[in-house]
Amino acid sequence: MANFILRKAEPKDVSDILRLIKELAKFEEMEEQVVLTEKELLEDGFGDHPFYHCVVAEVPKDKQSVEGYTVVGFAMYYFTYDPWIGKLLYLEDFYVMKEFRGYGMGSEILKMLSETAVKTRCSGMHFIVAEWNTSSIEFYKRRGASDLSHEEGWRLYEIDKCNLLKMSSK
Amino acid sequence: MANFNLRKAEPKDVPDILRLIKELAKYEEMEDQVILTEKDLLEDGFGDHPFYHCVVADVPAEHQKVEGYSVIGFAMYYFTYDPWIGKLLYLEDFYVMKEYRGFGIGSEILKTLSDTAVKNRCSSMHFIVAESNKASIDFYKRRGASDLSLQEGWRLFRIDKENLLKISAEE
Repeated sequence: MANFILRKAEPKDVSDILRLIKELAKFEEMEEQVVLTEKELLEDGFGDHPFYHCVVAEVPKDKQSVEGYTVVGFAMYYFTYDPWIGKLLYLEDFYVMKEFRGYGMGSEILKMLSETAVKTRCSGMHFIVAEWNTSSIEFYKRRGASDLSHEEGWRLYEIDKCNLLKMSSK
Repeated sequence: MANFNLRKAEPKDVPDILRLIKELAKYEEMEDQVILTEKDLLEDGFGDHPFYHCVVADVPAEHQKVEGYSVIGFAMYYFTYDPWIGKLLYLEDFYVMKEYRGFGIGSEILKTLSDTAVKNRCSSMHFIVAESNKASIDFYKRRGASDLSLQEGWRLFRIDKENLLKISAEE
């Protein structure tokens, strides 16, 4: 089955996007951590100022998934800024449903994102990968990705809402 | 000297922002890696669609040092998106000139950014810190920051322009 298309997500895709976000979270055993709603995804992605962009992979109706879905993969990305070199494309989420893997969808998605990055004059693509996720690490390394955490010692930090409120109110 | 002012950056601040970016890069011994120009910063930060935002700290004329700069600190940030919780504020660069440290300017900048994050309905603030940068790590940990790389095993990867072009050109 090599029959699929990749396209920019539209407002109508929001429920599929949320479904796939939850499937990926489930794979990471974190499904209940997804508190985002379809309403937020719609406002945040398709309003005046999109906070994210999505590419979706779709199969024809006759190839739909067991449960009847035609949107079977997605990638969520946005633009970030490096003060030394300027714009970057940041790949936030990237997932293809299990029964649709092995047909090159992931590679095609990454190719499309690479084209988008080059067209929008980005100097590179950044993303994070969990250190135990060896298959993803291999997938990216085969395409020339380098581990900046390893090379340059970067660690990702977070100040959560509770601590932000503490600081704001001081 | 506790007399300073924090404000949103304006187009006229672009030369100072680039100067401070280069100073911070110099401190990391990477000054020659800054290829961004004032023109890029202007287009990218003050056009129809800003790719970054800046807060600057300035001091009154009578507190300027020999070189005459009044903009003596900055923070560069933008909004990112977590597919589980939504908007986040991402702190990209944060620097106060050496002679102006110890007066609480850094703390005030971080407070302003925290207000901005909360006002914009961001669920948290993210940023990266080099594992060797103990002083910054302590600064952030004192304010409740947690090391997600340690807790969750995240590693930052990059596909550079050369490899992006290779991938784009593949059949």
